[in-house]
Amino acid sequence: MTSSQDAIRWPKLVQDCLRREIGPESTIPDPTTDLIETGVLDSMGWVSFLRTIESASGVDELGSLLTDARPSLESIFQALRDARADRAPLETQSLVANQPAARFRAVVTGSCMATGSRTIPSEEVDWAFGMPEGKLRKRAGIESLAYAAEGETELTLGARAAQQALHAAGCGAQELDWIIATSETHRGYPSLAAQLHSQLLARETCGALDVGGACLGLLNGLAVAQGLISSGQARIIAVVTADVHSRLFTPGRVAGEFGGLFGDGASAFLLRAPHGSEAQPSYRLGEFFFGCAGQYAGAIRVADTADGQLDVHFDGEALSRAAVTRLEKVILDLESRSGIARSSLQGLATHQPNPRLVTLLAKQCGLSLDKFPAVAQIYGNLGSSTCGAALDSILRSSQTQPPEERGAIFLASLGPGLLFGGGWLYSPRAKP
Amino acid sequence: MTRLLITEVTRMGPAFCVIGLQRDKEKIHSVRPVSPNTNGWRHFPHQRGDVLQCELIPFCGAKPHVEDRVSMRGFQKDSSVSEAETVTYLKKAEIAHSLLELFGCPVHPNKSGSGLFANPPEAKRSICGTETRNLRLEFCANELRATLVLSSGEVLRDLPVVDRDWRDFIDAALAGSRGANRLGRLERFLNSQFHYKILSCPHHFIRLGLTRPFHEVCWLMLDTLFPLPKPEWLEEF
Repeated sequence: MTSSQDAIRWPKLVQDCLRREIGPESTIPDPTTDLIETGVLDSMGWVSFLRTIESASGVDELGSLLTDARPSLESIFQALRDARADRAPLETQSLVANQPAARFRAVVTGSCMATGSRTIPSEEVDWAFGMPEGKLRKRAGIESLAYAAEGETELTLGARAAQQALHAAGCGAQELDWIIATSETHRGYPSLAAQLHSQLLARETCGALDVGGACLGLLNGLAVAQGLISSGQARIIAVVTADVHSRLFTPGRVAGEFGGLFGDGASAFLLRAPHGSEAQPSYRLGEFFFGCAGQYAGAIRVADTADGQLDVHFDGEALSRAAVTRLEKVILDLESRSGIARSSLQGLATHQPNPRLVTLLAKQCGLSLDKFPAVAQIYGNLGSSTCGAALDSILRSSQTQPPEERGAIFLASLGPGLLFGGGWLYSPRAKP
Repeated sequence: MTRLLITEVTRMGPAFCVIGLQRDKEKIHSVRPVSPNTNGWRHFPHQRGDVLQCELIPFCGAKPHVEDRVSMRGFQKDSSVSEAETVTYLKKAEIAHSLLELFGCPVHPNKSGSGLFANPPEAKRSICGTETRNLRLEFCANELRATLVLSSGEVLRDLPVVDRDWRDFIDAALAGSRGANRLGRLERFLNSQFHYKILSCPHHFIRLGLTRPFHEVCWLMLDTLFPLPKPEWLEEF
């Protein structure tokens, strides 16, 4: 918008907002009039008026700009002009098409995971689903599962993870430009991202976006966040995953061979635009790629039935084969695209359908199992949060090393469809 | 004589509004001592956590300020309790877990602006404690405002903060002697360190109050926020 357009737009917008406070028939006072001193508004009405303008104009923190100013329309016009001048660099940045993409790659400044607070031995889950005792441990390698306690939901787990990630980054929720959420179990509206927005008390002009993809959700969310940051549309974004399977995949609704694999958890990552002088050396997001191998779409399907039950089609054998093959291929592609050898990796945050498949994948890739954080073994398959829990674990363990010795991290995941995706993170200070 | 544990000291224009807890057999309930002539106190030298001896006339104020009692003499300090202990007593007094329970009536958003209000004939009381899942303070146009999430998940936006100690803390943070960019530093503090200090405090607790009827409605206010601010926090920003 040009300054001449501003000159027309702001007075009308401000007058409209003022009429909401003082009534549609009231006379608009002269721009220099002190609105409080002359009794047009009381102090409460003045704040309310400013809030209305913030909401209508998209200019945040108008109140802060006016703290020491006279409460008049003229002061508001000046504050709006100043706010617009401050924003110009960001808008200009977003229009710069020829900048090298790496300059705007998002930095991961905080992360956290949260799991359901009940730890259930896998034998108890065997029993609950009517399976022979020890089946989950022997066949899938699952030792225990994290189940949500009463009162724990996708929202509470996600909010907990997000708040701790914000804390880790020394960032306030009011600084967020976007909250991107993903969950394969949250149903209903308001959506998870919208509810997180309220729970975190983000500012009204912070966007809230839900992305799908089930177990691939984290990668989808990170890729969207990377796009928003690299285009200059956002500076700080929280990507949150949260899944509570234990209330959805219950005994009697689904078979134990499927439902028994899943636990409850959440993860959160705080991404921000690099600003050159990072206080803490942090990982940066590299590139992402995605695809869909439709020939495996029939291996897993979950749908609601008319009687409120779940129709689950789960071909465990076919899915296992497809999962390992496809994840191995994604890792191979990641190596080619990034030029990073798998042997130099800090770790791999992959989807973990069950621990046995992780062991198999490590073997197929010629990697030590230590490179894959044990998530499914302890907590069960956490859906979209499995990758997140693994990534958080690798990021935390890397903090004990000097930045120049930190290896890259590969992300690889799958979702029903069969969706697949990969991406990487790297430490900018790492030795080549 | 009545023993009153002081739990609220709020700013009300140039005066202060005071609320305390009184034990009545096994029950603990809130009492608002008011002077015979006005609702506030121009001078109130006591702190929260002080136990004061006072003489109150057993008279109930007009709805919803049913906690009002006329104080016939000055206050005499008897003893004091810690902040954490004060909160323990507050949790035994009026407490709510949802918006509807707060004042025993529906609470309405201000459709034309910010804040929330209750209708005086519907409200059963004017003060109530509650736990919060999240809370933020914001300084906007010289007004301190709170936005919070109740344990029920309901969000209350833009409540004026009238807690004397928090308002004093903000005034001290913005004092001219504190150097440049004071407002920016304060906002940064409120948006980060403050949040962690408050939410990680084991005795974090708030009390919400209703204003006296104004244009036929009573506005919600954040009367008390525990923990109270510590002077050394000013050194952190």
